[in-house]
Amino acid sequence: MKKQWAVMMATVLISGMVAGCGGKQEAPAESTTAKAETTAAETESTKAEEETTKVETEEAAGEQTELIVFAAASMTETLTEIADMYEEINPNVKIVYTFDSSGTLKTQIQEGADCDIFISAAQKQMNQLDSTADPSVNTEGLDFVLQGTRFNLVENKVVLAVPDDNPADIQNYEDLGTDKLSLICLGNDDVPVGAYSTEILTNLGIMEKLESESKITYGSNVKEVTTQVKEASVDCGIIYATDAFSAELTVVDEAEEGQCAQVIYPAAVLNISQNQEEAQTFLDFLTTDECAKVFESVGFSMAQ
Amino acid sequence: MDWYPLYNSLRIALISSVIVFFTGIFAAYYIAKLNRVVKGILDVILTLPLVLPPTVVGYFLLLLLGTKRPFGIWFLEHFGVKLVMTWYSGIFAAAVVAFPLMYRTARGAFESFDETLAYSGQTLGLGNAYIFWNIRMPACRQGILAGAVLAFARALGEYGATSMLAGYTPGRTATISTTVYQLWRTDNGVLAFQWVMVNVAISAAVLLTVNLLEQKNREKVKRADEKGGGTKGCRCR
Repeated sequence: MKKQWAVMMATVLISGMVAGCGGKQEAPAESTTAKAETTAAETESTKAEEETTKVETEEAAGEQTELIVFAAASMTETLTEIADMYEEINPNVKIVYTFDSSGTLKTQIQEGADCDIFISAAQKQMNQLDSTADPSVNTEGLDFVLQGTRFNLVENKVVLAVPDDNPADIQNYEDLGTDKLSLICLGNDDVPVGAYSTEILTNLGIMEKLESESKITYGSNVKEVTTQVKEASVDCGIIYATDAFSAELTVVDEAEEGQCAQVIYPAAVLNISQNQEEAQTFLDFLTTDECAKVFESVGFSMAQ
Repeated sequence: MDWYPLYNSLRIALISSVIVFFTGIFAAYYIAKLNRVVKGILDVILTLPLVLPPTVVGYFLLLLLGTKRPFGIWFLEHFGVKLVMTWYSGIFAAAVVAFPLMYRTARGAFESFDETLAYSGQTLGLGNAYIFWNIRMPACRQGILAGAVLAFARALGEYGATSMLAGYTPGRTATISTTVYQLWRTDNGVLAFQWVMVNVAISAAVLLTVNLLEQKNREKVKRADEKGGGTKGCRCR
């Protein structure tokens, strides 16, 4: 009987884990491992609870305003630097960032995430949240942008980046249509840089060829694409000039005017924000010369 | 609907479960014989992938297999094969993540195996290999099968490590789970839902199999109990 018990126990325990259900194993645990695991899980959850209460008390004690900023992944380095500058001047404000693809961020805002400021890497995602935007873009009729706060912050460039030593010897966008290329990493359609890439490749007439030959691997934000290139997992990738700069990647080609739309980063305060004034002050700060210097240091140009 | 992700997922899951089936059993068998300390340490290491987030597993695997990492470089130099961003990269990810399921279930089964059966085999002059395959394995069959089925299900559902190691190339490395994520990300909810249903159907079938195996086992035990009054003889069947 002992064997069947152990087997069943193990199966139940493990399938419980697989299903991700945190149900406790109340049965008289025969195998000590099962017991140990349950206790470990219990201690962990109590620890987590303790931590939550700690965080809550801390929040109540210090009267800090937390500004939640959702920003395009390509702004990670610059905005992090700017937050340090800003918090030094305004110790009462704490900037909390979420960096991801603008499409992901847009979905998270739409799904009810707390957010004060949204900075997108393309007009599309901002339009999708703006009630005054064309209904053909804002198809879901979403209204999140606080009117009068939206403006164009910076401009970026779309570049073709290769790993160190350029193993596949890719020299320009045209090379992507040749046999030199075996795998390229692009952002998916939901990622602004992916949309820009598609535009460039479609204009060159090689998008369909690459797709039918399965030569494209899709990343879910520009940083993922950058990492794939950096790790030489792919022959090349299409990213922003700023990401190539931050990751010290070799840029072999740059999209010119007409190859793809201008890469403008719009920013806005959201109407769901509880701290609209503080949010506006931070946005204003982003346009100061001080911040312009930070943006320009990695290759952004200030939007006109 | 392009069925490539289903084909790729099944192929990755099948190959990795075969790998895990044998490595899991042998790890379980040999580790069960080790002394307490070594056993404890190895057990922790081999079970870690079960409790670690798949992204952490993916990270470790990338540190090993990436094109700029030790194993990756070695393979690229000697065989000209890349270990990441290919369909078989998914096998590495799935195998590592599914291994603990096979290993733990098999070990549980081995530990409750009545060693006197093996000893009686030895007194009859049977070889160790013979005892292993013809006495130990049949006796532990249910547990080992359950482990294999669970490992297969886990391998089929692997997402985190797979997406880091194999990426998402439609028609090349796409699996069901990475396809669902990409479809959802790119606002293709209808197609994502279809793939979700495919996945649910397969996983439900797998769990049903496990349950049937257990039921069969219970019935067998009951019958044996009635017949033999719960003597030791029932265990080896």
